[in-house]
Amino acid sequence: MTTPAEIAVERHGGVVVVRVGGEVDMTNATFVRDELLRSIPNDALGLVIELSDCRYLDSAAIEVLFDLARRLGRRRQDLRLAVPPSSPLRRVLILTEISSAAPMHDGLDEAVAAVG
Amino acid sequence: MQLRRRSHRDEDSLGTRARRQAALAELGQRALSGAPLDELLEETVAAARELGAEYVSLLELTGDGQGLLVRAGHGLPDGVIGGVLPAGENDLAGNALRAEAPVIVEDFGGEPRFGRSALERDLDVVSAMAARIGAEGGVIAVHSRRRQRFTQDDAHFLQSLANVVGAASERARSEDVIRDSEARFRALADNTPALMWTTDAEGHVTFVNQGWLRFTGRDLKEELGDTFALSAHPDDRTELVARWRQAFARREEFRMEYRLLRHDGEERWVLEVGVPRFEEGEFVGYVGTATDIHERRAMEEALRESEQGFRELADTAPVMIWTTDDRGLVTFVNEGWLRFTGTSFEEELGATWTLGVHPDDSHEVLNSWLEALDARRPWEREYRLRGKDAEYRWIVDRGVPRYERGRFAGYVGTAIDIHERKLVEGRLREVYEREHRVAETLQRSLLPERLPEIEGVGLAARYLPAGRGAAIGGDWYDVLESKDGRVALVVGDVVGHGLRAAAVMGQLRNAFRAYGLVEHSPAEVMSRINRLVMSGVEEVMATVLYLVLDRETGHVTLTSAGHPPPLVLGHHDPYFLEGGRSVPVGAADPAVFRETEATLAPGSTLLLYTDGLVERRDVPLEDRMHQLAAAAAAAGGELEDLCDQILAGVLGPNEPSDDVALLAVRPEPVSAERLHLSLRAEPGSLIGLRRRMGRFLHALGASDAETYEITLSVCEAAGNAIEHAYGPGDATFSIEAGLEDRSVAVTVSDTGQWRDRRGHHRGRGLKIIEGLMDEVDVSTEGAGTVVRMRRILREGSWEAA
Repeated sequence: MTTPAEIAVERHGGVVVVRVGGEVDMTNATFVRDELLRSIPNDALGLVIELSDCRYLDSAAIEVLFDLARRLGRRRQDLRLAVPPSSPLRRVLILTEISSAAPMHDGLDEAVAAVG
Repeated sequence: MQLRRRSHRDEDSLGTRARRQAALAELGQRALSGAPLDELLEETVAAARELGAEYVSLLELTGDGQGLLVRAGHGLPDGVIGGVLPAGENDLAGNALRAEAPVIVEDFGGEPRFGRSALERDLDVVSAMAARIGAEGGVIAVHSRRRQRFTQDDAHFLQSLANVVGAASERARSEDVIRDSEARFRALADNTPALMWTTDAEGHVTFVNQGWLRFTGRDLKEELGDTFALSAHPDDRTELVARWRQAFARREEFRMEYRLLRHDGEERWVLEVGVPRFEEGEFVGYVGTATDIHERRAMEEALRESEQGFRELADTAPVMIWTTDDRGLVTFVNEGWLRFTGTSFEEELGATWTLGVHPDDSHEVLNSWLEALDARRPWEREYRLRGKDAEYRWIVDRGVPRYERGRFAGYVGTAIDIHERKLVEGRLREVYEREHRVAETLQRSLLPERLPEIEGVGLAARYLPAGRGAAIGGDWYDVLESKDGRVALVVGDVVGHGLRAAAVMGQLRNAFRAYGLVEHSPAEVMSRINRLVMSGVEEVMATVLYLVLDRETGHVTLTSAGHPPPLVLGHHDPYFLEGGRSVPVGAADPAVFRETEATLAPGSTLLLYTDGLVERRDVPLEDRMHQLAAAAAAAGGELEDLCDQILAGVLGPNEPSDDVALLAVRPEPVSAERLHLSLRAEPGSLIGLRRRMGRFLHALGASDAETYEITLSVCEAAGNAIEHAYGPGDATFSIEAGLEDRSVAVTVSDTGQWRDRRGHHRGRGLKIIEGLMDEVDVSTEGAGTVVRMRRILREGSWEAA
């Protein structure tokens, strides 16, 4: 039994938005990382990961966010997260200091506008 | 632009299982369609590569049992395939040959049971697994040069492959027999002096032998069809037809003496015996013989007239004839008897004939003879008598008391050689039994060996094959967890029996697995399956019940394609979930499948079954359903016991006359008091743990954020336990959780040591636990690590932090 994650890719101008829904844990984190990397072309300004439909992230998933930020940073591409204030994930993301690698925003529009 | 990617299950054990099931079903299909054995072996080897080992080998025990012939393989050095390896006792193959279950070697370096064979040393293998093929046919093995941990699923897959190969080679051996049996039956029948015939299941004559045609002087065309009693003497015809119909309706042996008209118009007395034939448990018609007993009848007449006339007549008759005195001692046997036994007249006088009866038959023959003699009743038995070349041959022997001037004078008897008929019967039976075994093996390979473990649902299942002599049916059950977290349950029954039904069952089972994962609506799943079945070339029909259960709410949605309704048990009288009924799958296209919905009370148990449990020819279905409900009402306890009690209550001590599948399902109520879980130390356990923790914490009144944070902390600790579970494949870890004052206390224990933190990832895990919980304590106890954590529940707690 493994974890179902839903991944949907959208393009907002020069910014790629990926909505990650469902659950991401140690059993599917590698897959999610590969999907995210594949979603962003070289010419994109950056990537926004939208997490309002995401119900579960574990340390392996958070490690993927850090890893992704490092890889995109080498390509001078920005990584930002859109996490609504009501999301139960918020405290864990703050606790792990994800903002040092991928700044966190309340809304999607705000996050997209901040890229670049 | 929005581009929706597929949702995904990564490193998907479910996908692996489905793939393996599909591979097995395909292999089974190929085996059934009569693919050449060598091709099948190659395909089996290819399928075994799924296990991810570098080497696959398929070994067959040589005739002398001393060597293992390498029939097929993958990755093996040149020259190994086709060669013979020594069949050592102290190596993997030797052990696998003697073991019931697959033998797994995780590391030859630390293997105490046996060492590496020469080839295994040459290949420098580290891990391996081997399973026995058939009773002692051979071994299929996979070897890996790196350390590989084979799971129980892997072992089951390898054993299933071995079972299919075993069944296929068995079938290859028996195929010739099956193909030839009909032709051989006819050849045998035509060489039999007796008159022989067969009918189909409707009683229409499908075959008469040359002897019959010579006797009646008709040609084959005239004899086939609804011709029974056509050639009988008009005075005997009515009784013959009446007795034949009576026996036929009951599928009983038929036996009658009547006058048959010969080609020259002469009437001859014959003894006609018909026995029902069954193919794989299904009645297919009768096979019968008619024997000319005219001399015997004439002899009986003559006997009444004069002793001298009788003796003359007796010696010219081809049948075997004997007489006894009033003590049962033989006083006369005719030439026919002596030609059979190869003895002299004097030798046969007295009681010596009993010495010629086959040892296995003599007890029964003598007892029945003495009993009949005592009561002066007619006697008749089929038994083996030693013939002139010391060879036993089947005869039917019949004696009737004779009276002289009103005084009992002894018996007069006749015997007929029925050896050929018996041989044909025996061979046909052998063929059917072999088919039965092949079908059973295949079905076992296709049914899940154990039910999947689904968090929050108790499951138990039973599969009872029909009683001896009956054919394997196409019953199946299955349980799967769909993407939205609901649980789908399937129980089905393919119409028909034997190999074909078992193969169709395998295909349908896979189709339900595939559609069940992507479709939410049971009626839509059923309708898709129906379209799939109707588009096939073969005529397939099946009754299926498909039910989707929400384990949190007890809500069920179901559709029934001509299948009996599920039964609900609980703190109330049992009731059937009626509704949602439609035609069987494969009956109509297009077909409309209906759905019905219901909500189970907490603590309810759902019972799904196939009609073998409730159908019996002599009892109306409605009565049987009542009986099932009554048996279920009287049963109780754990699911496994419940199944046994219900089966015992409905079937009693009898073997079922049709296959029975039974599936019991009980959504487990969440306890708000304490939670205790013991889980296998593998990543796949985490999702179940999350669901269970989530339900438990919600029941305690924790907020969404609290639920997520506590669950995450527990899973991080569990993740460590999983990463560090060494050694035996079935390592476990356990979770204890409970509410103390206003805080949730959780203990996670395992049996392995935590290694030093590796990189950011593990460090982050502990940091998360420490940050989210109010108290954390990690200690080493005995051989394992124990993490104790506590979190005070306050509503909106994360906002306060």
